[in-house]
Amino acid sequence: MISNINIYLKKSTESSKLAVFRICFGLLMLYSMVRFWSKNWIHTIYVEPKFHFKYYGFEWIQSLGSFTYALFIICIICSILITLGLWYRLSIIVFFLSFTYIELIEKTTYLNHYYFVSLLSFVLIFLPASSCFSIDSILKKKQYSQVPKWTTDSIKLLMIIVYFYAGLAKINSDWLLEALPLKIWMPSKYDIPLIGETFLQYEWVHYLMSWGGMLYDLTIPFLLLNKRTRMIGFFLVLFFHLFTAILFPIGMFPYIMILSALVFFDGQTHDKIIKLLKRPISVFMKKSKAVIIEKLSTFEYKRPKLILITLAIFFLVQIVVPFRYVLYPSELFWSEEGYRFSWRVMLVEKIGYTTFKIKNKDTGVIFEAPCTNMLTKVQTKQMSFQADMILEFAHYLGDYYKKQGLHNIAVFANSYVTLNGRPKEQFIDPSIDLLSIEESFKHKVWIIPYKYDIKGF
Amino acid sequence: MIKKILALSFIFICFFISCSGDGDSESSQSSATVWEQKSQMLENWADNFILPNYESLLDNLFSLEESISVFNNNPNQQHLDNVRYGWLEAYKSWQYVEMFNIGPAEQTFYHLKMNVFPTSVVNIEQLVASGDYSPLDNSPYNSAQGFPALDYLLYGLSENDSEIISTYTINVNYRNYLAEIIQRMISNTSYVLDQWSNYRTNFISSTENTATSSANKMTNDFIYYYEKGFRANKFGIPVGVFSAGNVFPEKVEAYYSQNVSRTLALEAMNAIDLFFNGNGSYSLKQFIDNFATDEMSNLSSEINDQFDLARTSIEGLDQNFVNQLNTDFLQMGITYDVIQAGTVLLKTDMLSVLQIATDYVDADGD
Repeated sequence: MISNINIYLKKSTESSKLAVFRICFGLLMLYSMVRFWSKNWIHTIYVEPKFHFKYYGFEWIQSLGSFTYALFIICIICSILITLGLWYRLSIIVFFLSFTYIELIEKTTYLNHYYFVSLLSFVLIFLPASSCFSIDSILKKKQYSQVPKWTTDSIKLLMIIVYFYAGLAKINSDWLLEALPLKIWMPSKYDIPLIGETFLQYEWVHYLMSWGGMLYDLTIPFLLLNKRTRMIGFFLVLFFHLFTAILFPIGMFPYIMILSALVFFDGQTHDKIIKLLKRPISVFMKKSKAVIIEKLSTFEYKRPKLILITLAIFFLVQIVVPFRYVLYPSELFWSEEGYRFSWRVMLVEKIGYTTFKIKNKDTGVIFEAPCTNMLTKVQTKQMSFQADMILEFAHYLGDYYKKQGLHNIAVFANSYVTLNGRPKEQFIDPSIDLLSIEESFKHKVWIIPYKYDIKGF
Repeated sequence: MIKKILALSFIFICFFISCSGDGDSESSQSSATVWEQKSQMLENWADNFILPNYESLLDNLFSLEESISVFNNNPNQQHLDNVRYGWLEAYKSWQYVEMFNIGPAEQTFYHLKMNVFPTSVVNIEQLVASGDYSPLDNSPYNSAQGFPALDYLLYGLSENDSEIISTYTINVNYRNYLAEIIQRMISNTSYVLDQWSNYRTNFISSTENTATSSANKMTNDFIYYYEKGFRANKFGIPVGVFSAGNVFPEKVEAYYSQNVSRTLALEAMNAIDLFFNGNGSYSLKQFIDNFATDEMSNLSSEINDQFDLARTSIEGLDQNFVNQLNTDFLQMGITYDVIQAGTVLLKTDMLSVLQIATDYVDADGD
């Protein structure tokens, strides 16, 4: 066993794989950041709100106001440096930190694919992605044709986790037996050319898409791993992600997954890609002096053990965390206890409506908090059906009214949520004073149990 | 390799499109396509609700203007009564317009110049005295014009009518201000209506499902009106739902005339009901009935039941909401709760069925 591991760890693979991955990642991040900026989301999401929802344990993260723009500039510069392979190690570390910081500022914008980017950039910190076809290799006058195989494999493993868990999560009664929520979403996509008015309106199509999506997620890692099925796998990747890009407003996610899937291809393909990329550059390079680069075989880590242990722990956590929901007795889709960070995408259609009542415990007087101006529309929408955010906002309201001189108060939530087309149900126990409750990993007993049962992972 | 992939994709897409052409597959929808249903709904809204409602409001405003000019020439009790009658008729027809804060109305902030209450007596008196009405173009003076300002000018200048009449007889400034207010209401309304003749084409052709398309904006406006203009302004704020236990009789609609607040609220309830059900043509109700999942198949009748409960509850209140608040405000709190139950239905179940992009939430999802 141990000797097998040792043999595996000594295996190497073409460094061009990491170089291509690095360039794709850098360019995609560059485009993502510029796109985010151009849509004015930095302002509407990070600058405008008076209050930010924080992740449990990360309440200390401060919103930077207008300086958030600086954080984005840092990310943009890092993306360019990553693409060029200049000061790679430093730029990927700074990118990981600044990108993750941005994500931690505001919880209502949590997206699985932002989380994926954070994780991916963390893994990339430990990989020698600038060991060839990079400015670093020119500056150091060293380039490596090979890197340890486990470096590219850790990217593959992360992708396998994402796909496989996303597929596992789709094995539930709503998704497979009712074709929910696709059955609700697809008819509203009638304005998509060609397929909107016809194809997307049929119920059998919703079932086909549900089952297809589940099978795709579960099998695609293996289709990509196996050399004989790789082409068909990549074709499915292209089709699936472009199709979802047309159907849903999911931003950069499809393109990130498509380009990331390239890492499964063999070294020859990557060498070809690099040759292709070199052509325009060589025109420019002819004018400058040719640099003699020492060509070395395999990149070797100075402290491989430390890095391997770090990555092993990282992946162990990634494999365990999505299953933490089993520790909660509540209906997962309803309470969302253990829902995030688990690659559960597209599984629920939820609309919530939550209002807050403030009770002056001295006088017994109850009034409704007029909180429409305190949150942005995005925040209101997300908060309305997520218990942790409702709790956090209740505490914010409590602080707000205490500052107004009402010291002895209680805050109650009147919350109604629809889940996958079922009639709304009351979500939060309206008799619970939310100020008496602190956020924790414990089961939230103040969420009213869902009267429907959704079976599955 | 790339060519192979492209060719494969092409074949795949062709396959999907050819499948989608199959006529025999079970369709959960009625025979009309979603586009057709949406454009029927938009046409119904434009031609049977928005345009005629604006027209009847404008007609009523013209009649009111006439009565006002008669009154201004010769202020007496009979002429005052005529003006008050005209004001109430116009105010009632306004209840059928307020929810249509869309297109030209939205662009010109028309609604804010028509019915922001409580009216600002201080501002009105200042303008009456100065004779300079240009501040009315600015938002701080929104509450010094429109129906609430007329309410004050026709009922609030004094406790008894003869003193009100003598105020107008003696002081030309009040006559001028009265004429100015009705003038502005007419010109603002005519402008919106004129613009609608062009805007109508845009309105009914914008049938896609985006945050800025007509059906989505109008549905959002409708819900917003129900929640804010109807629920909060007419009931919630006066009864003190949003303020620490204080009741505000002076914040009811038509505070100075006192006796019509219930009438106006019932007209508004009727307008909401008619708009939702479409008055016999394609509407939100039909749309819900065609698209609801099995679990939600009762939704439109549930919403109608809730509207009926709200109506009954409003009918049980004193016709003068000020009296109601002073004698038994808890009863009005109950009415508010019944109306609020409607808000919950509209904002959760209805939106879930309609699957429209709510408001202008512009962000990626996953």
